[in-house]
Amino acid sequence: MMPYTRLLIPLWLFYMLLTNNWQLSNMVMGMVVAGWVAWLLRPSERKIVWRTVPGALAAAVYYLGILLVDLAQSGWQVVRIILFNQPINPGIIAIPSGCDSELGTALSAHAITVTPGEMVVEINEAGVMYTHCLEVDKAAEHMERAQKMRAELLQRIFI
Amino acid sequence: MEQILTAVLYISLFLHLCMIGATAWRIWAGDNVIDRLIGVDLIGTFTLALLVIVALLGGRTIFIDVALGLAALGFVSIIALSKYLADEQMF
Amino acid sequence: MTPILQFIAIIAVIVGTLFSLVGILGYFRLPDVYTRLHATGKVGIFGVVLLLVATVAVTPLSIGKGLILIALLLVAGPVASHAIASAAYRIGIPMTGKRDDLQQELHSEPGRKGKQRIKP
Repeated sequence: MMPYTRLLIPLWLFYMLLTNNWQLSNMVMGMVVAGWVAWLLRPSERKIVWRTVPGALAAAVYYLGILLVDLAQSGWQVVRIILFNQPINPGIIAIPSGCDSELGTALSAHAITVTPGEMVVEINEAGVMYTHCLEVDKAAEHMERAQKMRAELLQRIFI
Repeated sequence: MEQILTAVLYISLFLHLCMIGATAWRIWAGDNVIDRLIGVDLIGTFTLALLVIVALLGGRTIFIDVALGLAALGFVSIIALSKYLADEQMF
Repeated sequence: MTPILQFIAIIAVIVGTLFSLVGILGYFRLPDVYTRLHATGKVGIFGVVLLLVATVAVTPLSIGKGLILIALLLVAGPVASHAIASAAYRIGIPMTGKRDDLQQELHSEPGRKGKQRIKP
C-alpha cells in the first residue's frame, strides 16, 4: 500500500495544477484519476530510510544549483561562439558514467544534454556516454571532474 | 510599465514570425534529411513561443493549454520521425 | 509589487527573444548537423522557458500550467535532440572535426551499426 500512496500524492498535485480548479468535486475527481494512473503504473516496492531523507534533499538542491550555473555558463559560451564567430573544434568523446543504476546514467545523460555545447549521441550497455562537444579539448578535462561529482551526488540522492 | 510590456511583446511577436519564415525557407533549401528534421523541430518550438506570447498579450490562459498540447504532440512526433529515419520502420 | 513583476517580465521577454535569435543564427551559420543541434536546442531551453517565466510573473492564473510546461520542456528538449543526433549518426551523416571515439566502438561491435541493427 505504501508505494501506491507515495505515487498518489504527486499525481494528484499534477492534476490539480493542470486543472487549476480548487473545488471539492474536482479534488475528488483528481483523486480518482490519480488512483487509476497509479494502479496502471504498478510502482515497485522500495523502503524509504527516513534517516537519509534530509541529506538526499540537500543533495538534490545542490544538484539543481550546479545544473543552473552550468546552464548559464555554457549558454554564454555558445552565444559567444555563434555571435563572434570563434573557431570551434567539434568531436565525440567517451565519458564513463560512474553510476551503477540505469536511472543514474539516464539522469546524468540528461544533465549533460541540457547544457548547451554538450550532447550525448549514444550510450552503450556498460554506461559509457559518447558525447558530442563543441570544444573537445576544453570539455574533456572539465567533464571528467563534473561527471565524478554528479555521480556522487546522484548516489546520495537515490540510495 | 504596461505600455512598454505591450510594445516589447509586439516586437517579439514580429521577430518570431520572421524567424518562422526564415526556418521555413531553410527547410526548403536544406542540406540533408536530418537538417530538415531539425527545422521541423525548430518550427514547433517557435509556434510554442508564439502561443505563449499571444497568451501574454491577451492575458488569457487558454493558449497555455494549447501550448501544452502542442509541446507534448511535437515531442512524440519528433521521436517517431527520427526513429523512422534511423531504422526505416516505425515499430 | 506589480511594476516589479512587469519589469521582470520585460527583461525575460527581451532575453528570451535574443536567445531565440542567436539559436536561429546558429542554425544558419554552423557547419554540420551535430553543431546545429547545439544551437537549436538552446531555443527550446532558454527562449521558450524565459517567455514562460514572463507569463508566470504577469498572469497570476497560469502559474501551475506554466510550471508544468517549463518542466515538460526541460525534460523533453534534450530527449528530442538526442534522438535526432542518434538518428543522424546511424544513417551516417558526415561530421566535421577530427576526434571521434564512437567510430571504434561501432566497428568493434558490428551488430550495432546503422541500418543493419537487429531490432531488440
